[in-house]
Formats: sequence, structure tokens, C-alpha cells
Amino acid sequence: MKNPYEVLGVSPSASESEIKAAYRALAKKYHPDKYTDSPLADVAEEKMKEINEAYDEIMNSKKSGSSYSSAGSYGTASSEYYQVRVLIQQNRLDEAERILDSETGPDHKAEWYFLRGMCYFRRGWMQQAAQYFQRANQMEPNNMEYRQALENMTRRQSYGYGGYDMNGSQGECGTCDICTSLMCLNCLCSCCR
Amino acid sequence: MFGYIRVDKNELLVREYEAYKSVYCGLCKRMGREYSFLSRFLLSYDCTFYAVFLMALKRSCEGFHGGRCRFNPLKKCTYCACGDDALSKAAAVNVTLAYYKLIDDISDSGFLKRAALKAVKPFLSRFRKKAARRFPYIDKLAEKMLNSQLKAEKNPDCNLDMAAEPTAEFLAALLECEGSGNLSRVYRQTGYGLGRFIYLIDAADDLEKDIKKGNFNPFIPYGENRLEIMKNNLSSALSMTFDAYNLLDITDFKGVLDNVILRGLPTVQSEILKKYEVKNEESV
Repeated sequence: MKNPYEVLGVSPSASESEIKAAYRALAKKYHPDKYTDSPLADVAEEKMKEINEAYDEIMNSKKSGSSYSSAGSYGTASSEYYQVRVLIQQNRLDEAERILDSETGPDHKAEWYFLRGMCYFRRGWMQQAAQYFQRANQMEPNNMEYRQALENMTRRQSYGYGGYDMNGSQGECGTCDICTSLMCLNCLCSCCR
Repeated sequence: MFGYIRVDKNELLVREYEAYKSVYCGLCKRMGREYSFLSRFLLSYDCTFYAVFLMALKRSCEGFHGGRCRFNPLKKCTYCACGDDALSKAAAVNVTLAYYKLIDDISDSGFLKRAALKAVKPFLSRFRKKAARRFPYIDKLAEKMLNSQLKAEKNPDCNLDMAAEPTAEFLAALLECEGSGNLSRVYRQTGYGLGRFIYLIDAADDLEKDIKKGNFNPFIPYGENRLEIMKNNLSSALSMTFDAYNLLDITDFKGVLDNVILRGLPTVQSEILKKYEVKNEESV
């Protein structure tokens, strides 16, 4: 097993509050909610487990045993596509798609669209995935599972990750002018060098 | 599709910028040594990023040397010392992609330009052969990318995701082989998102040109919704890249890589999409 202090990225002499802060930052980074539907969800979960264990170990050794448990289960309701769901869960997308595509006929159920969309999503075919999720939602607007998948998709489509807003920061504010002039200055400086 | 993976220089620390620059110069030097002086003109930022990424994953950067630039002897520059084949791989990817891009350009361009490009072909072809001898898998992947791209574009039912697949798959496979087990899956996902982003941003950039010339472009069928579709797909590709990248434990070059993924790529995206936003406002 790895050194728990290394896992959390703190020195062994770190104070309890430092350890807590480091743990919180990492827990946020690998939080299962961020990896909803992602094919790398299990990797994130493993990381989460690692930091949980490291945190527990450090805290136990400091004799204040507080324990955290990792969340993140994929709600598999009983459905006729149970096998497909399992395959998707295991990232065996080719097999899952084969089963779905073998079903003929133009009138598929909402769940079919949802699962087909999930296959595309896991492959990274975001445009197709969005279309299929939308279709599933139109057919069954009250289904929480489909709605969550669509919301997750929409969140990604307007991803301002790391708190960085791609569009907002480019307004006509004074600070931008400062930046531009600094940029020009910088260019001039590199010329002179 | 070159030059979209850039750093946002304004947001880098000076030492981070210098480290990045030293990989750029190191790659340039390596290309000169392994291929020829002429191949140095092919150097791209994308392959510099690839080199930085590899060195960060393998922790193979062993320091920096001072030297002088071959193109401008008055300029001093630093070269990074690479402990494994990261720079060689990046050089091979660079010349290989340059060759396949040339092939693609030759088939796309008119008579005069075609003649000019054909004159360059023997040089690039020699570089590519040399690279293929050194790293056969890179050449195989690139060839597969070109062929499946041509096939996808000929398909009348080709949708956006199908069109983006070859480039995405190329980068996914290129990075996937650098690790094993779960790590290789994370590399793969990073590469897939990045490749998808590169293809789509290139397509967005060329949209007007492609409409004029009647070339294939995945955004054409979306008509008025184009801007939204571009934004959605570019952002979701980046989110995929970022989520996978986040799972990597990176210590070397972390500032540079974070900068590219969190700042550089979104900046490139908003710069390119801006030209369509302005158009929309004018038409309203």
C-alpha cells in the first residue's frame, strides 16, 4: 500500500486541518458526481477509495477515528435491458450495441433510446448521445434516470470547468484592456531582448 | 489540423513557459538530428504538447541545457534533456502527420497548388519512411486515420461523431499504448477527447472555406444551429479530456499541461467560434 501522506499530498508533519483540507480538495476532484456515466467512473472511484483509506489511516493513527465511505452506485432498476446495462457498466460497448441494434422495428421504447445514447456517450460520440437522450426524455419526461442523463450531458456541453468561464470573462470590462496593453507590452519586450 | 493545441502564454509562470519552450527547442533539435535540417520547418505546437505530455507521464525530463538557436544564432535558448524516447516519438509523429496531411492536401487542391505540393512530397516521404522504420505503430495508426477519414467522408450518412472518430481514435490509440491496465484507459480517454476536439475545432475553423468549395464538413447539415452545435460538442469533448486528465498523477510540467487543458484549448475554442458569433449578430 502507498504511503497515505503521499496519497493526500501532505507532509507527515502536517496539521489536522491541513490534512482535512487536502482530503477535501481531492475528494472534490474525484467525486463520483463528476464522473456520472463516464467510462472512467471506476478509476475515479478507485482514486476516491485510495484517498479515503489514506485519510482514515492518518486519522486513526492520530487517534480520532472518523471514517468516510465512498458513494457512487449506478441505479440498476429491474428492466428488460438488464443485460445491456451490465454490459455498458463493464464497458463492453460492442456487445451492448449488438444486442440493442438486433432489435428491429421503428418503434423502440424510451429505455432503448436511453441505453443506445449511453453507449454513444461512453464512446465519446457526444452529438449522437445528446440526440438519443433527448428522444428518451421526450418519450418519458417523468423518468428520473433519463432526465439525469440528459442533464449531465447538458452540463458537459456548457462546461465551464475548473470554475473557468469560457464566455463570461470576455466582456467589455476594464481589466481586459489592461490585459491587452500588457500583452502588447510583453510583445515589445520580447522584441527588444 | 495543426496548431490548435497551444498554451495560453499570458497565464503561464515564466519558469513554466521556459520549460515549455525548452521542449519546443529540444524537439526542433531532435528533428534536425534524426531527420534533416529541413524537417525542422515542420515543427508544430501539437507535437510539442505530445512530447511534454509523454515526459510528464514518464517523468523522463532530466534537466535543461543552454544553447543557441540554429535559425537565429544571436538568440540563446535552452534545450530539455529527455531520458527516454519521448522526443523521438514526438518527432516521428510530427513528420508522419505532416506527410499524411500533405497527401490529403494534394488530393484537395487545385492544379497549381497541387504541383507545388507534389514538389515537396519526396522530402516528406523520406522523413515518413525513416519514422516508420523507427516507430512502425505510429505510421500504421496515421495511415489508418487517413483511410478511415476518407471512408467516413464518402459515406452519405456520415454524422458528426463518425467524422470525428478517426482523429479521436488516432490520438486515443497513440496515448493508450503508453500505459497498461486502468492507466491506459485513462490515457485513451484523454486522447479521445483531445482528438475529437482537434477534429471539430479544425472543422469549425474551415467551415466557411468548405461551404465555398463544396468540401465535406460535419457542421454543414446543422444550418442555423451550427454555432450551438459547435459549442456543445467542443465543450463536451474538452470536459471528457479534462475529466480523464484529472485522474492522472502529474508532477512534472503540471503547470504547462494544466494551462493547455484549462486555458489554452478553451481560448482557442472561443477565438474560433467568435467569428461565427459576430456574424450572427450582424444578420440579426
